[in-house]
Amino acid sequence: MSESTDLAVSLGAGTISFEIDGSLYPQDALYGAAYVFLDRCYVLLDRVSDNRVRVLLRGKTKDAALDGDALAGEFQNELLGQTWRRKIAEDNRSLIEAITARALGGAAGPPGLDDLLEMDVGSETAFDDPLGIAMSWEEKYAKGKSDAAKTAKDAAPADAAPAEDPPEVTP
Amino acid sequence: MNVQNPLPAFRPFVAAGAAAQKPLDLVEVRYRPLPNAGGDVLLTNPFGDWVFVTQGEMSALVRGQLDDGTPLHQKLAAKNFIRSKISVETEAKRLARKKRFLAYGPNLHICVVTLRCNETCVYCHASRADMDQVQTDMSPEIGEKVVDFMLQSTSPGVTLEFQGGEPLANFPVMKHIIEYAVQKNRAYGKQLDFTLVSNLGLMTEDKLSYLVDHKVQICTSIDGPEALHTKQRVLVGGNSHREAARWIERINKKYIELGLDPTLYHVEALLTTTREALKYPREIVDTYRNLGCRAIFLRPVDPFGFAKKTAGRIEYDRREYHDFYRTAVDHILSLNAKGEEILERYAAIFLTKILMDEDSNFLDIRSPSGSAIGALAYNYDGSIFSSDEGRMIHEMGDDFFKIGDVRTSKYRDVMKHETVRALVLASIRETQPDCNVCTYAPYCGIQPEHSYRSQGSIFGQMRQSTLCSVHKGIQDFLFEKLHTGDASTVDTLKRWTTIRERSHFIQSSAAS
Repeated sequence: MSESTDLAVSLGAGTISFEIDGSLYPQDALYGAAYVFLDRCYVLLDRVSDNRVRVLLRGKTKDAALDGDALAGEFQNELLGQTWRRKIAEDNRSLIEAITARALGGAAGPPGLDDLLEMDVGSETAFDDPLGIAMSWEEKYAKGKSDAAKTAKDAAPADAAPAEDPPEVTP
Repeated sequence: MNVQNPLPAFRPFVAAGAAAQKPLDLVEVRYRPLPNAGGDVLLTNPFGDWVFVTQGEMSALVRGQLDDGTPLHQKLAAKNFIRSKISVETEAKRLARKKRFLAYGPNLHICVVTLRCNETCVYCHASRADMDQVQTDMSPEIGEKVVDFMLQSTSPGVTLEFQGGEPLANFPVMKHIIEYAVQKNRAYGKQLDFTLVSNLGLMTEDKLSYLVDHKVQICTSIDGPEALHTKQRVLVGGNSHREAARWIERINKKYIELGLDPTLYHVEALLTTTREALKYPREIVDTYRNLGCRAIFLRPVDPFGFAKKTAGRIEYDRREYHDFYRTAVDHILSLNAKGEEILERYAAIFLTKILMDEDSNFLDIRSPSGSAIGALAYNYDGSIFSSDEGRMIHEMGDDFFKIGDVRTSKYRDVMKHETVRALVLASIRETQPDCNVCTYAPYCGIQPEHSYRSQGSIFGQMRQSTLCSVHKGIQDFLFEKLHTGDASTVDTLKRWTTIRERSHFIQSSAAS
């Protein structure tokens, strides 16, 4: 037997269900809100139609009286909070990144001798030059440009910055 | 629970309806109709400037009516609210100056030399241990490692603050740490000073002589009149208030004997405002005056340590706190008007930002907060925490804020710890809903440990944050006072922003 309120449908046995409009909320926010409930509930997200997502929450402790409306309302507020935080973080991304980098960099300071000594520089890797930094401009771009550049790029690790394009040269 | 201060219903954008538009030449503006400002509206901008406008002027602004040469335009231009009249370079320098604390690491290092305590307090933040629990004493070896770790901070000045429990219960180790720190700092040349936070119940003449000789600043706790203080702070076999009062008098006398200026050098005391304390705003202020204190910090009770367990007895609606704060500070202002110099610390912190365009780097009211990057707390066993609040949460069984150990951790690794990164991100105002559009954002700050403890997440929700409510309530009160324009009041509030360095307490780093 089910019982309906504005916020949710109670399915009995400590289980509630409600639908949300998926076009209003980013999927990450939906996952984030669901995650907050993992300690208290079993959570199921199910797509009902293109823009409708059904949320099912079942309390983990059977004997606990489940206030379905409160749980649904808390989930919906959390979903709105996660969505709004995400938007604010996107809007202020440059400022947040600048402050964070400055704060952590200022607090940690530059690496000391001990840090440098601990870096993974072995005899086999000490002279690697994956970005072609030690190469002359001519070696890298002018003579056999495509081969040299290709070698440098091929050798670069996946997370390294891409090699710069050669500068424009005016005769 | 609604913890926010109720504001007058003034909805200029609703009233303007379809006619509402943003004046093209206005910088980003936040507005707040204050409860007691005669209907006027406070405007602030992201640089920290502020101005009051009438409701009529506000209504004109939301309709885009801001013609060059009008009195409103001139008023806003004088306060950097008009985009075409500001120098971007100048404003960038202002912001950088106020954020200069970001260039340095932790300057406050809280060293818990023992959890043992001779007093039992209803709100104990520190999760104390009984006096026979000597296993909670810091060893000299751990103490040395705390100093070694502290001196690696990128901050040019460091304060080592001894806390507990009652630090005087482990006085030999405290002495060892002081002497070791002074000696080690000769190689670092940092501006080093020491602070002791003590209930003074275990103070002796010998200990006092040592502390004064070694320039250790002494702070204590006073909860108000004797009946209130002794009810909240129980000293077995004694009277906690009389003991504290006796030693405050003795220490202050000692400073005078040294030729130090008593208006600058005296015992500082801290208040914890419980539900019971709310009944005595004037009496609490008067108790501080009678003890020779020149400053009082009207701190609300925190949700840490034992305070969480006893919340039912000592917590309260923050609107009651606002009434308490207003009554107490009005009393302090009336004393100042009669020539007596005494200030309230919360007000001084905010006023320094509001009136002096400075940031005094108070770690709980800055953005990002001082958690880890401004302060570290070291437990008796060598564990490192992002703050003393984080350490208290650890004592309650949650290690969320533990970020290292002085025996094994490297300084840079601790500063780059994932918890530290999260704390920085969580306490930048521009990441926080409500804070990102708050009128008081230029002056305010978030304490992520408080959000974690009271709401379960370091990000928290400001609508339900009691700390946000306290900060907003205090700033409402201060701006209302500034709005009156009363010369005596404004002069007093300006005087509270004066920072006088207690240079006597700074240790010499020169080799002897």
